[in-house]
Amino acid sequence: MAWLSRQFSTRVIVLIPIAIAINIVLGYTVQTILKLPIYLDSIGTILVGVLAGPIAGALTGILSNLIWQYAPGIGGGTIGPFAITAGVIGLLAGIWGQLAVYKSRPASGRQLILAAIAAAVIVIVVVIPIINNPAYTDPNNGYPSWVYTAAAVIAVVVAVVVVGFIYIRRDLAGLWVAVAGVVTGIIAAFVSAPISAIAFGGVTGGGTDLLVAALRQGGSDVLHASLGQGLFSDPIDKTITSFVVFMILSGLSGRLLARFPLGERLVRDRAA
Amino acid sequence: MRPDPGPDTSVAIPEPGAAVLPAYVLRVPTGPYRALNPLTKFVIAIASAVVAFGVRGWTGPLSILVVTAAIALIAGVSRSLRRFVLATIPIVASILLVNAFLYPGATDVLFRVGPFAATGTGVTVALQAVLRVIAFALSVAVFSLTTATDDFLADLERRGTGRRLTFVIGSAIRTIPTMGSRAIEIVEAQRARGLDTEGSIRRRLRGIVPLAGPMVFGSLGEVEERTIALEARAFSAPVRRTAMRALPDSSTQRALRWVVGLGSLVLVAVSVAGRFPLP
Repeated sequence: MAWLSRQFSTRVIVLIPIAIAINIVLGYTVQTILKLPIYLDSIGTILVGVLAGPIAGALTGILSNLIWQYAPGIGGGTIGPFAITAGVIGLLAGIWGQLAVYKSRPASGRQLILAAIAAAVIVIVVVIPIINNPAYTDPNNGYPSWVYTAAAVIAVVVAVVVVGFIYIRRDLAGLWVAVAGVVTGIIAAFVSAPISAIAFGGVTGGGTDLLVAALRQGGSDVLHASLGQGLFSDPIDKTITSFVVFMILSGLSGRLLARFPLGERLVRDRAA
Repeated sequence: MRPDPGPDTSVAIPEPGAAVLPAYVLRVPTGPYRALNPLTKFVIAIASAVVAFGVRGWTGPLSILVVTAAIALIAGVSRSLRRFVLATIPIVASILLVNAFLYPGATDVLFRVGPFAATGTGVTVALQAVLRVIAFALSVAVFSLTTATDDFLADLERRGTGRRLTFVIGSAIRTIPTMGSRAIEIVEAQRARGLDTEGSIRRRLRGIVPLAGPMVFGSLGEVEERTIALEARAFSAPVRRTAMRALPDSSTQRALRWVVGLGSLVLVAVSVAGRFPLP
Protein backbone atom coordinates (compact mmCIF):
# COMPACT_ATOMS: atom_id res chain seq x y z
CA MET A 1 0.00 0.00 0.00
CA ALA A 2 2.86 2.35 0.80
CA TRP A 3 4.22 1.54 -2.66
CA LEU A 4 0.88 2.52 -4.17
CA SER A 5 0.22 5.71 -2.19
CA ARG A 6 3.80 6.88 -2.82
CA GLN A 7 2.90 7.01 -6.53
CA PHE A 8 0.04 9.41 -5.84
CA SER A 9 1.57 12.34 -3.98
CA THR A 10 -0.21 15.68 -4.44
CA ARG A 11 2.47 16.67 -6.96
CA VAL A 12 1.67 13.59 -9.07
CA ILE A 13 -2.08 14.24 -8.75
CA VAL A 14 -1.42 17.71 -10.22
CA LEU A 15 0.84 16.31 -12.94
CA ILE A 16 -1.62 13.66 -14.21
CA PRO A 17 -4.31 16.05 -15.59
CA ILE A 18 -1.60 18.10 -17.30
CA ALA A 19 -0.15 14.91 -18.78
CA ILE A 20 -3.60 13.87 -20.01
CA ALA A 21 -4.08 17.26 -21.69
CA ILE A 22 -0.58 17.00 -23.25
CA ASN A 23 -1.46 13.56 -24.65
CA ILE A 24 -4.71 14.71 -26.19
CA VAL A 25 -3.64 18.13 -27.48
CA LEU A 26 -0.22 17.05 -28.76
CA GLY A 27 -1.65 13.89 -30.33
CA TYR A 28 -4.33 15.95 -32.05
CA THR A 29 -1.88 18.65 -33.19
CA VAL A 30 0.73 16.22 -34.53
CA GLN A 31 -1.87 14.18 -36.39
CA THR A 32 -3.85 17.08 -37.86
CA ILE A 33 -1.64 20.21 -37.94
CA LEU A 34 1.76 18.64 -38.66
CA LYS A 35 -0.10 15.84 -40.51
CA LEU A 36 2.43 13.18 -39.58
CA PRO A 37 1.65 9.46 -39.92
CA ILE A 38 2.46 8.79 -36.25
CA TYR A 39 0.33 9.14 -33.12
CA LEU A 40 2.58 10.81 -30.52
CA ASP A 41 -0.27 10.65 -28.03
CA SER A 42 1.58 8.98 -25.17
CA ILE A 43 4.23 11.55 -24.16
CA GLY A 44 2.26 12.49 -21.02
CA THR A 45 1.59 8.85 -20.15
CA ILE A 46 5.25 7.87 -20.37
CA LEU A 47 6.27 11.03 -18.50
CA VAL A 48 3.99 10.19 -15.55
CA GLY A 49 5.03 6.52 -15.59
CA VAL A 50 8.72 7.43 -15.48
CA LEU A 51 8.30 10.13 -12.81
CA ALA A 52 5.73 8.42 -10.56
CA GLY A 53 5.46 4.68 -11.21
CA PRO A 54 3.52 1.97 -13.07
CA ILE A 55 0.06 2.42 -11.57
CA ALA A 56 0.10 6.21 -11.96
CA GLY A 57 1.28 5.75 -15.57
CA ALA A 58 -1.44 3.21 -16.33
CA LEU A 59 -4.12 5.47 -14.84
CA THR A 60 -2.90 8.41 -16.97
CA GLY A 61 -3.06 6.31 -20.14
CA ILE A 62 -6.51 4.88 -19.47
CA LEU A 63 -8.03 8.23 -18.48
CA SER A 64 -6.44 9.98 -21.49
CA ASN A 65 -8.23 7.77 -23.99
CA LEU A 66 -11.55 7.74 -22.11
CA ILE A 67 -11.55 11.55 -21.76
CA TRP A 68 -10.47 11.96 -25.41
CA GLN A 69 -13.46 9.87 -26.47
CA TYR A 70 -15.75 11.92 -24.23
CA ALA A 71 -14.44 15.38 -25.16
CA PRO A 72 -16.47 16.81 -28.06
CA GLY A 73 -14.97 18.82 -30.90
CA ILE A 74 -11.53 17.20 -31.19
CA GLY A 75 -12.42 14.02 -33.00
CA GLY A 76 -11.97 11.03 -30.74
CA GLY A 77 -14.33 8.91 -32.83
CA THR A 78 -12.73 5.58 -31.92
CA ILE A 79 -9.99 6.29 -29.40
CA GLY A 80 -11.87 5.03 -26.32
CA PRO A 81 -11.43 1.25 -26.63
CA PHE A 82 -7.67 1.75 -27.01
CA ALA A 83 -7.58 2.85 -23.35
CA ILE A 84 -6.37 -0.69 -22.63
CA THR A 85 -3.30 -0.18 -24.83
CA ALA A 86 -2.63 3.21 -23.28
CA GLY A 87 -2.84 1.67 -19.80
CA VAL A 88 -0.28 -0.98 -20.73
CA ILE A 89 2.04 1.71 -22.14
CA GLY A 90 1.83 3.65 -18.85
CA LEU A 91 2.47 0.49 -16.85
CA LEU A 92 5.58 -0.29 -18.90
CA ALA A 93 6.81 3.30 -18.57
CA GLY A 94 6.54 2.94 -14.78
CA ILE A 95 8.68 -0.19 -14.93
CA TRP A 96 11.27 1.63 -17.09
CA GLY A 97 11.22 4.45 -14.53
CA GLN A 98 11.90 2.05 -11.66
CA LEU A 99 14.75 0.52 -13.64
CA ALA A 100 16.19 4.04 -14.11
CA VAL A 101 16.17 3.66 -17.91
CA TYR A 102 15.82 7.40 -18.54
CA LYS A 103 18.73 8.41 -16.31
CA SER A 104 21.48 10.27 -18.13
CA ARG A 105 24.70 8.20 -18.32
CA PRO A 106 27.54 10.27 -19.75
CA ALA A 107 30.35 8.25 -21.25
CA SER A 108 33.30 8.63 -23.61
CA GLY A 109 35.86 6.70 -25.62
CA ARG A 110 35.58 2.96 -25.99
CA GLN A 111 32.51 2.68 -23.76
CA LEU A 112 30.65 5.00 -26.09
CA ILE A 113 31.63 3.08 -29.21
CA LEU A 114 30.63 -0.23 -27.62
CA ALA A 115 27.23 1.20 -26.63
CA ALA A 116 26.66 2.52 -30.13
CA ILE A 117 27.44 -0.89 -31.63
CA ALA A 118 25.25 -2.61 -29.05
CA ALA A 119 22.38 -0.24 -29.88
CA ALA A 120 22.66 -0.97 -33.60
CA VAL A 121 22.78 -4.72 -32.92
CA ILE A 122 19.77 -4.59 -30.59
CA VAL A 123 17.69 -2.64 -33.12
CA ILE A 124 18.53 -5.18 -35.84
CA VAL A 125 17.91 -8.16 -33.51
CA VAL A 126 14.55 -6.72 -32.48
CA VAL A 127 13.50 -5.98 -36.06
CA ILE A 128 14.43 -9.34 -37.65
CA PRO A 129 11.84 -11.40 -35.72
CA ILE A 130 9.22 -8.79 -36.66
CA ILE A 131 9.94 -9.25 -40.34
CA ASN A 132 9.89 -13.04 -39.90
CA ASN A 133 6.82 -12.85 -37.64
CA PRO A 134 3.87 -15.13 -38.51
CA ALA A 135 1.89 -11.91 -38.99
CA TYR A 136 4.02 -11.22 -42.04
CA THR A 137 4.41 -14.76 -43.37
CA ASP A 138 1.65 -15.50 -45.75
CA PRO A 139 0.42 -18.83 -47.03
CA ASN A 140 -0.77 -17.67 -50.44
CA ASN A 141 1.01 -15.05 -52.48
CA GLY A 142 3.50 -13.37 -50.20
CA TYR A 143 3.31 -9.69 -49.32
CA PRO A 144 4.26 -7.01 -51.80
CA SER A 145 8.04 -6.72 -51.58
CA TRP A 146 7.86 -3.02 -50.62
CA VAL A 147 6.57 -4.09 -47.19
CA TYR A 148 9.85 -5.90 -46.48
CA THR A 149 11.97 -3.18 -48.09
CA ALA A 150 10.23 -0.47 -46.09
CA ALA A 151 10.68 -2.42 -42.84
CA ALA A 152 14.38 -2.85 -43.56
CA VAL A 153 14.84 0.81 -44.49
CA ILE A 154 13.05 1.99 -41.36
CA ALA A 155 15.13 -0.36 -39.17
CA VAL A 156 18.33 1.04 -40.65
CA VAL A 157 17.15 4.64 -40.19
CA VAL A 158 16.22 3.93 -36.54
CA ALA A 159 19.58 2.27 -35.92
CA VAL A 160 21.46 5.21 -37.45
CA VAL A 161 19.45 7.77 -35.47
CA VAL A 162 19.99 5.90 -32.19
CA VAL A 163 23.71 5.51 -32.80
CA GLY A 164 23.93 9.18 -33.80
CA PHE A 165 22.07 10.21 -30.67
CA ILE A 166 24.39 8.22 -28.40
CA TYR A 167 27.45 9.55 -30.18
CA ILE A 168 26.55 13.22 -30.41
CA ARG A 169 25.17 13.52 -26.89
CA ARG A 170 27.87 11.25 -25.47
CA ASP A 171 25.21 9.55 -23.38
CA LEU A 172 24.70 5.80 -22.96
CA ALA A 173 21.09 6.41 -21.95
CA GLY A 174 20.18 6.60 -25.64
CA LEU A 175 20.70 2.84 -25.86
CA TRP A 176 18.27 2.06 -23.04
CA VAL A 177 15.78 4.70 -24.15
CA ALA A 178 15.67 3.13 -27.63
CA VAL A 179 15.23 -0.38 -26.22
CA ALA A 180 12.45 0.82 -23.92
CA GLY A 181 10.69 2.50 -26.86
CA VAL A 182 10.93 -0.49 -29.20
CA VAL A 183 9.80 -3.01 -26.55
CA THR A 184 6.89 -0.76 -25.53
CA GLY A 185 5.89 -0.43 -29.19
CA ILE A 186 5.91 -4.19 -29.82
CA ILE A 187 3.82 -4.92 -26.72
CA ALA A 188 1.43 -2.06 -27.63
CA ALA A 189 0.98 -3.59 -31.10
CA PHE A 190 0.03 -6.97 -29.64
CA VAL A 191 -2.48 -5.34 -27.29
CA SER A 192 -3.98 -3.05 -29.97
CA ALA A 193 -4.47 -5.58 -32.75
CA PRO A 194 -7.32 -7.60 -31.14
CA ILE A 195 -9.06 -4.36 -30.07
CA SER A 196 -8.92 -2.96 -33.58
CA ALA A 197 -9.96 -6.31 -35.11
CA ILE A 198 -12.92 -6.90 -32.76
CA ALA A 199 -14.20 -3.35 -32.45
CA PHE A 200 -13.45 -1.69 -35.78
CA GLY A 201 -13.06 -4.44 -38.39
CA GLY A 202 -9.28 -4.09 -38.21
CA VAL A 203 -8.83 -0.44 -39.20
CA THR A 204 -8.40 2.82 -37.28
CA GLY A 205 -9.37 5.51 -39.79
CA GLY A 206 -5.83 6.89 -40.07
CA GLY A 207 -3.17 6.77 -42.77
CA THR A 208 -1.89 3.46 -41.34
CA ASP A 209 -4.97 1.74 -42.81
CA LEU A 210 -3.15 1.67 -46.16
CA LEU A 211 -0.76 -0.81 -44.58
CA VAL A 212 -3.67 -2.93 -43.32
CA ALA A 213 -5.06 -2.97 -46.86
CA ALA A 214 -1.69 -4.02 -48.32
CA LEU A 215 -1.32 -6.85 -45.80
CA ARG A 216 -4.84 -8.10 -46.54
CA GLN A 217 -4.19 -7.93 -50.24
CA GLY A 218 -1.26 -10.26 -49.53
CA GLY A 219 -3.64 -12.75 -47.91
CA SER A 220 -3.45 -11.97 -44.20
CA ASP A 221 -6.56 -12.37 -42.02
CA VAL A 222 -8.20 -9.50 -40.10
CA LEU A 223 -6.25 -9.94 -36.85
CA HIS A 224 -2.89 -10.56 -38.47
CA ALA A 225 -3.24 -7.62 -40.86
CA SER A 226 -3.86 -5.33 -37.86
CA LEU A 227 -1.00 -6.90 -35.95
CA GLY A 228 1.28 -6.51 -38.95
CA GLN A 229 0.37 -2.83 -39.19
CA GLY A 230 0.88 -2.34 -35.43
CA LEU A 231 4.28 -4.06 -35.44
CA PHE A 232 5.20 -1.63 -38.19
CA SER A 233 3.94 1.68 -36.73
CA ASP A 234 4.05 1.26 -32.95
CA PRO A 235 7.77 0.59 -32.39
CA ILE A 236 8.59 3.67 -34.53
CA ASP A 237 6.04 5.82 -32.73
CA LYS A 238 7.04 4.69 -29.24
CA THR A 239 10.77 5.04 -29.97
CA ILE A 240 10.24 8.65 -31.09
CA THR A 241 8.03 9.27 -28.03
CA SER A 242 10.64 7.67 -25.79
CA PHE A 243 13.36 9.99 -27.10
CA VAL A 244 11.10 13.06 -26.82
CA VAL A 245 10.41 12.16 -23.16
CA PHE A 246 14.13 11.65 -22.55
CA MET A 247 14.92 15.08 -24.00
CA ILE A 248 12.15 16.66 -21.91
CA LEU A 249 13.49 15.01 -18.76
CA SER A 250 17.05 16.08 -19.48
CA GLY A 251 15.77 19.64 -19.96
CA LEU A 252 14.15 19.76 -16.51
CA SER A 253 16.17 20.77 -13.46
CA GLY A 254 17.28 18.05 -11.08
CA ARG A 255 15.68 20.05 -8.27
CA LEU A 256 12.26 19.69 -9.93
CA LEU A 257 12.72 16.03 -10.90
CA ALA A 258 13.83 14.96 -7.44
CA ARG A 259 10.49 16.00 -5.98
CA PHE A 260 8.63 13.25 -7.86
CA PRO A 261 8.38 9.72 -6.41
CA LEU A 262 10.89 8.19 -8.86
CA GLY A 263 12.84 11.42 -9.29
CA GLU A 264 15.99 10.19 -7.59
CA ARG A 265 16.32 7.54 -10.30
CA LEU A 266 16.48 10.28 -12.96
CA VAL A 267 18.92 12.71 -11.42
CA ARG A 268 22.49 12.27 -12.54
CA ASP A 269 24.93 11.13 -9.84
CA ARG A 270 26.99 14.00 -8.49
CA ALA A 271 30.18 11.97 -8.81
CA ALA A 272 29.72 11.41 -12.54
CA MET B 1 -18.13 24.52 5.83
CA ARG B 2 -21.61 25.78 5.12
CA PRO B 3 -24.55 23.50 5.86
CA ASP B 4 -26.34 21.71 3.04
CA PRO B 5 -28.50 24.41 1.43
CA GLY B 6 -31.42 22.05 0.81
CA PRO B 7 -33.88 22.37 -2.04
CA ASP B 8 -35.84 25.43 -0.80
CA THR B 9 -32.91 27.76 -0.07
CA SER B 10 -33.49 30.96 -2.02
CA VAL B 11 -30.56 32.96 -3.27
CA ALA B 12 -32.62 35.40 -5.30
CA ILE B 13 -32.36 38.28 -2.78
CA PRO B 14 -29.37 37.71 -0.55
CA GLU B 15 -29.21 39.39 2.84
CA PRO B 16 -26.63 42.18 2.85
CA GLY B 17 -23.35 40.65 3.95
CA ALA B 18 -24.73 37.12 3.83
CA ALA B 19 -22.70 34.44 2.07
CA VAL B 20 -24.05 34.16 -1.44
CA LEU B 21 -23.93 30.68 -2.93
CA PRO B 22 -22.82 30.76 -6.56
CA ALA B 23 -25.49 29.83 -9.07
CA TYR B 24 -23.92 26.53 -10.02
CA VAL B 25 -24.28 25.23 -6.49
CA LEU B 26 -28.05 25.26 -6.72
CA ARG B 27 -28.49 24.71 -10.45
CA VAL B 28 -30.16 21.37 -11.00
CA PRO B 29 -30.49 20.03 -14.56
CA THR B 30 -34.06 19.94 -15.82
CA GLY B 31 -35.86 18.55 -18.84
CA PRO B 32 -36.53 15.04 -20.04
CA TYR B 33 -33.56 12.66 -19.68
CA ARG B 34 -31.23 15.51 -18.62
CA ALA B 35 -32.85 15.52 -15.19
CA LEU B 36 -31.81 11.92 -14.55
CA ASN B 37 -29.02 11.41 -12.07
CA PRO B 38 -25.60 11.65 -13.82
CA LEU B 39 -24.69 8.14 -12.68
CA THR B 40 -27.84 6.73 -14.31
CA LYS B 41 -26.91 8.37 -17.62
CA PHE B 42 -23.33 7.15 -17.25
CA VAL B 43 -24.45 3.54 -16.63
CA ILE B 44 -26.74 3.74 -19.69
CA ALA B 45 -23.84 5.01 -21.86
CA ILE B 46 -21.42 2.32 -20.64
CA ALA B 47 -24.05 -0.44 -21.02
CA SER B 48 -24.77 0.76 -24.58
CA ALA B 49 -21.08 0.63 -25.47
CA VAL B 50 -20.75 -2.85 -23.95
CA VAL B 51 -23.73 -4.18 -25.90
CA ALA B 52 -22.71 -2.45 -29.16
CA PHE B 53 -19.27 -4.11 -29.04
CA GLY B 54 -20.08 -7.31 -27.18
CA VAL B 55 -23.21 -8.56 -28.95
CA ARG B 56 -22.11 -9.57 -32.44
CA GLY B 57 -24.02 -9.57 -35.69
CA TRP B 58 -26.70 -7.01 -36.46
CA THR B 59 -28.63 -7.26 -33.18
CA GLY B 60 -26.26 -5.44 -30.82
CA PRO B 61 -25.30 -2.37 -32.88
CA LEU B 62 -28.76 -1.88 -34.40
CA SER B 63 -30.67 -2.07 -31.11
CA ILE B 64 -28.23 0.33 -29.43
CA LEU B 65 -28.49 2.73 -32.37
CA VAL B 66 -32.30 2.72 -32.02
CA VAL B 67 -32.17 3.17 -28.22
CA THR B 68 -29.57 5.96 -28.46
CA ALA B 69 -31.48 7.77 -31.20
CA ALA B 70 -34.66 7.57 -29.10
CA ILE B 71 -32.86 8.97 -26.04
CA ALA B 72 -31.33 11.76 -28.16
CA LEU B 73 -34.79 12.71 -29.47
CA ILE B 74 -36.30 12.72 -25.97
CA ALA B 75 -33.42 14.76 -24.56
CA GLY B 76 -33.56 17.15 -27.54
CA VAL B 77 -29.89 16.78 -28.48
CA SER B 78 -30.36 15.01 -31.84
CA ARG B 79 -29.27 18.18 -33.68
CA SER B 80 -25.94 18.41 -31.86
CA LEU B 81 -25.26 14.75 -32.56
CA ARG B 82 -24.54 15.61 -36.18
CA ARG B 83 -20.92 16.65 -35.57
CA PHE B 84 -20.28 13.44 -33.62
CA VAL B 85 -21.53 11.45 -36.62
CA LEU B 86 -19.33 13.59 -38.92
CA ALA B 87 -16.31 12.83 -36.72
CA THR B 88 -16.65 9.12 -37.52
CA ILE B 89 -16.45 9.66 -41.31
CA PRO B 90 -12.72 8.78 -41.74
CA ILE B 91 -13.02 5.50 -39.90
CA VAL B 92 -16.36 4.66 -41.50
CA ALA B 93 -14.89 5.18 -44.97
CA SER B 94 -11.84 3.12 -44.06
CA ILE B 95 -13.90 0.27 -42.60
CA LEU B 96 -16.14 0.15 -45.67
CA LEU B 97 -13.31 0.21 -48.23
CA VAL B 98 -10.90 -2.16 -46.53
CA ASN B 99 -13.48 -4.74 -45.51
CA ALA B 100 -15.74 -4.67 -48.55
CA PHE B 101 -12.87 -5.11 -51.00
CA LEU B 102 -10.23 -6.91 -48.96
CA TYR B 103 -12.07 -9.26 -46.64
CA PRO B 104 -9.79 -12.28 -46.09
CA GLY B 105 -11.13 -15.55 -47.46
CA ALA B 106 -14.41 -14.16 -48.83
CA THR B 107 -15.34 -15.50 -52.29
CA ASP B 108 -18.97 -14.33 -52.84
CA VAL B 109 -18.14 -11.54 -55.28
CA LEU B 110 -20.76 -8.81 -55.68
CA PHE B 111 -19.02 -6.58 -58.23
CA ARG B 112 -15.51 -5.68 -59.38
CA VAL B 113 -13.63 -2.38 -59.50
CA GLY B 114 -10.42 -2.90 -61.43
CA PRO B 115 -8.41 -5.64 -59.70
CA PHE B 116 -10.52 -5.44 -56.52
CA ALA B 117 -13.69 -7.43 -55.91
CA ALA B 118 -16.33 -6.46 -53.36
CA THR B 119 -17.60 -9.51 -51.50
CA GLY B 120 -20.94 -10.07 -49.78
CA THR B 121 -19.24 -11.29 -46.59
CA GLY B 122 -16.97 -8.24 -46.60
CA VAL B 123 -19.84 -5.80 -47.07
CA THR B 124 -21.82 -7.46 -44.25
CA VAL B 125 -18.87 -7.30 -41.87
CA ALA B 126 -18.14 -3.70 -42.89
CA LEU B 127 -21.72 -2.53 -42.35
CA GLN B 128 -21.89 -4.22 -38.95
CA ALA B 129 -18.60 -2.63 -37.90
CA VAL B 130 -19.81 0.79 -39.12
CA LEU B 131 -23.05 0.49 -37.13
CA ARG B 132 -21.04 -0.56 -34.07
CA VAL B 133 -18.70 2.44 -34.35
CA ILE B 134 -21.56 4.91 -34.81
CA ALA B 135 -23.65 3.35 -32.01
CA PHE B 136 -20.66 3.54 -29.66
CA ALA B 137 -19.73 7.11 -30.61
CA LEU B 138 -23.32 8.30 -30.21
CA SER B 139 -23.90 6.63 -26.83
CA VAL B 140 -20.86 8.46 -25.44
CA ALA B 141 -21.92 11.67 -27.21
CA VAL B 142 -25.42 11.58 -25.69
CA PHE B 143 -23.90 11.26 -22.22
CA SER B 144 -21.48 14.11 -22.87
CA LEU B 145 -24.26 16.36 -24.28
CA THR B 146 -26.81 15.74 -21.51
CA THR B 147 -24.49 15.79 -18.50
CA ALA B 148 -22.39 18.65 -17.14
CA THR B 149 -18.94 17.42 -16.07
CA ASP B 150 -19.30 19.26 -12.73
CA ASP B 151 -22.57 17.47 -12.00
CA PHE B 152 -21.12 14.06 -12.77
CA LEU B 153 -18.01 14.62 -10.66
CA ALA B 154 -19.94 16.18 -7.76
CA ASP B 155 -22.27 13.20 -7.75
CA LEU B 156 -19.39 10.71 -7.88
CA GLU B 157 -17.67 12.44 -4.97
CA ARG B 158 -20.89 12.46 -2.92
CA ARG B 159 -21.08 8.68 -3.49
CA GLY B 160 -17.62 8.24 -2.04
CA THR B 161 -15.28 8.33 -5.04
CA GLY B 162 -11.87 9.57 -3.94
CA ARG B 163 -11.28 13.31 -4.21
CA ARG B 164 -7.99 12.65 -6.00
CA LEU B 165 -9.69 10.78 -8.85
CA THR B 166 -12.45 13.37 -9.30
CA PHE B 167 -9.83 16.14 -9.22
CA VAL B 168 -7.75 14.40 -11.89
CA ILE B 169 -10.74 13.94 -14.24
CA GLY B 170 -12.20 17.42 -13.69
CA SER B 171 -8.86 19.17 -13.94
CA ALA B 172 -7.93 17.25 -17.11
CA ILE B 173 -11.18 18.22 -18.84
CA ARG B 174 -10.67 21.87 -17.87
CA THR B 175 -7.00 21.86 -18.91
CA ILE B 176 -7.61 20.57 -22.46
CA PRO B 177 -9.05 23.84 -23.93
CA THR B 178 -6.32 25.91 -22.22
CA MET B 179 -3.66 23.60 -23.57
CA GLY B 180 -5.31 23.64 -26.99
CA SER B 181 -5.12 27.42 -27.27
CA ARG B 182 -1.53 27.28 -26.03
CA ALA B 183 -0.70 24.76 -28.77
CA ILE B 184 -2.18 27.07 -31.42
CA GLU B 185 -0.15 30.01 -30.04
CA ILE B 186 3.03 27.94 -30.13
CA VAL B 187 2.43 26.68 -33.68
CA GLU B 188 1.79 30.24 -34.89
CA ALA B 189 4.80 31.62 -33.04
CA GLN B 190 7.05 28.92 -34.50
CA ARG B 191 5.61 29.43 -37.98
CA ALA B 192 6.50 33.10 -37.68
CA ARG B 193 10.06 31.90 -36.95
CA GLY B 194 10.06 29.71 -40.05
CA LEU B 195 8.68 26.36 -38.80
CA ASP B 196 7.55 24.37 -41.80
CA THR B 197 4.18 22.66 -41.27
CA GLU B 198 3.48 21.96 -44.93
CA GLY B 199 6.76 20.63 -46.36
CA SER B 200 8.07 17.09 -46.67
CA ILE B 201 7.67 14.52 -43.89
CA ARG B 202 11.29 15.02 -42.85
CA ARG B 203 10.78 18.78 -42.43
CA ARG B 204 7.51 18.29 -40.58
CA LEU B 205 9.15 15.73 -38.25
CA ARG B 206 11.62 18.45 -37.27
CA GLY B 207 8.62 20.48 -36.11
CA ILE B 208 7.88 18.09 -33.24
CA VAL B 209 10.48 19.42 -30.82
CA PRO B 210 9.74 23.17 -31.34
CA LEU B 211 6.08 22.30 -30.73
CA ALA B 212 6.30 19.78 -27.90
CA GLY B 213 9.13 21.53 -26.06
CA PRO B 214 7.49 24.86 -25.16
CA MET B 215 4.15 23.15 -24.55
CA VAL B 216 5.49 20.56 -22.14
CA PHE B 217 7.98 22.83 -20.34
CA GLY B 218 5.39 25.60 -20.02
CA SER B 219 2.80 23.34 -18.47
CA LEU B 220 5.23 21.46 -16.25
CA GLY B 221 6.17 24.82 -14.79
CA GLU B 222 2.63 25.10 -13.46
CA VAL B 223 2.83 21.82 -11.53
CA GLU B 224 4.77 23.40 -8.67
CA GLU B 225 2.40 26.37 -8.26
CA ARG B 226 -0.70 24.21 -8.41
CA THR B 227 0.72 21.75 -5.90
CA ILE B 228 1.40 24.52 -3.41
CA ALA B 229 -2.05 26.03 -4.04
CA LEU B 230 -3.77 22.69 -3.40
CA GLU B 231 -1.74 21.91 -0.31
CA ALA B 232 -2.56 25.37 1.07
CA ARG B 233 -6.24 24.42 0.69
CA ALA B 234 -5.96 21.14 2.64
CA PHE B 235 -6.10 18.92 -0.44
CA SER B 236 -4.50 15.97 1.33
CA ALA B 237 -6.43 16.42 4.59
CA PRO B 238 -7.66 13.01 5.80
CA VAL B 239 -11.33 14.06 5.98
CA ARG B 240 -14.17 14.05 3.46
CA ARG B 241 -15.36 17.25 1.86
CA THR B 242 -18.89 18.42 2.57
CA ALA B 243 -21.09 17.83 -0.46
CA MET B 244 -22.62 21.20 -1.37
CA ARG B 245 -24.85 19.80 -4.07
CA ALA B 246 -27.16 16.85 -3.84
CA LEU B 247 -28.38 15.88 -7.30
CA PRO B 248 -31.80 14.23 -7.34
CA ASP B 249 -31.81 10.45 -7.36
CA SER B 250 -34.57 7.90 -6.76
CA SER B 251 -34.97 4.23 -5.94
CA THR B 252 -36.45 3.72 -9.42
CA GLN B 253 -33.25 5.07 -10.95
CA ARG B 254 -31.13 2.89 -8.68
CA ALA B 255 -33.10 -0.17 -9.82
CA LEU B 256 -32.79 0.96 -13.45
CA ARG B 257 -29.02 1.25 -13.10
CA TRP B 258 -28.70 -2.30 -11.78
CA VAL B 259 -31.04 -3.73 -14.43
CA VAL B 260 -29.34 -1.91 -17.34
CA GLY B 261 -25.82 -2.56 -16.06
CA LEU B 262 -26.22 -6.25 -15.23
CA GLY B 263 -28.56 -6.79 -18.20
CA SER B 264 -25.90 -5.60 -20.67
CA LEU B 265 -23.33 -7.97 -19.15
CA VAL B 266 -25.78 -10.91 -19.31
CA LEU B 267 -26.59 -10.09 -22.96
CA VAL B 268 -22.91 -10.08 -23.87
CA ALA B 269 -22.27 -13.32 -21.93
CA VAL B 270 -25.16 -15.02 -23.77
CA SER B 271 -23.87 -13.71 -27.09
CA VAL B 272 -20.27 -14.77 -26.45
CA ALA B 273 -21.48 -18.21 -25.26
CA GLY B 274 -22.68 -18.80 -28.81
CA ARG B 275 -26.28 -17.60 -28.87
CA PHE B 276 -25.36 -15.42 -31.88
CA PRO B 277 -22.64 -16.74 -34.18
CA LEU B 278 -19.54 -14.51 -34.41
CA PRO B 279 -19.04 -12.81 -37.79
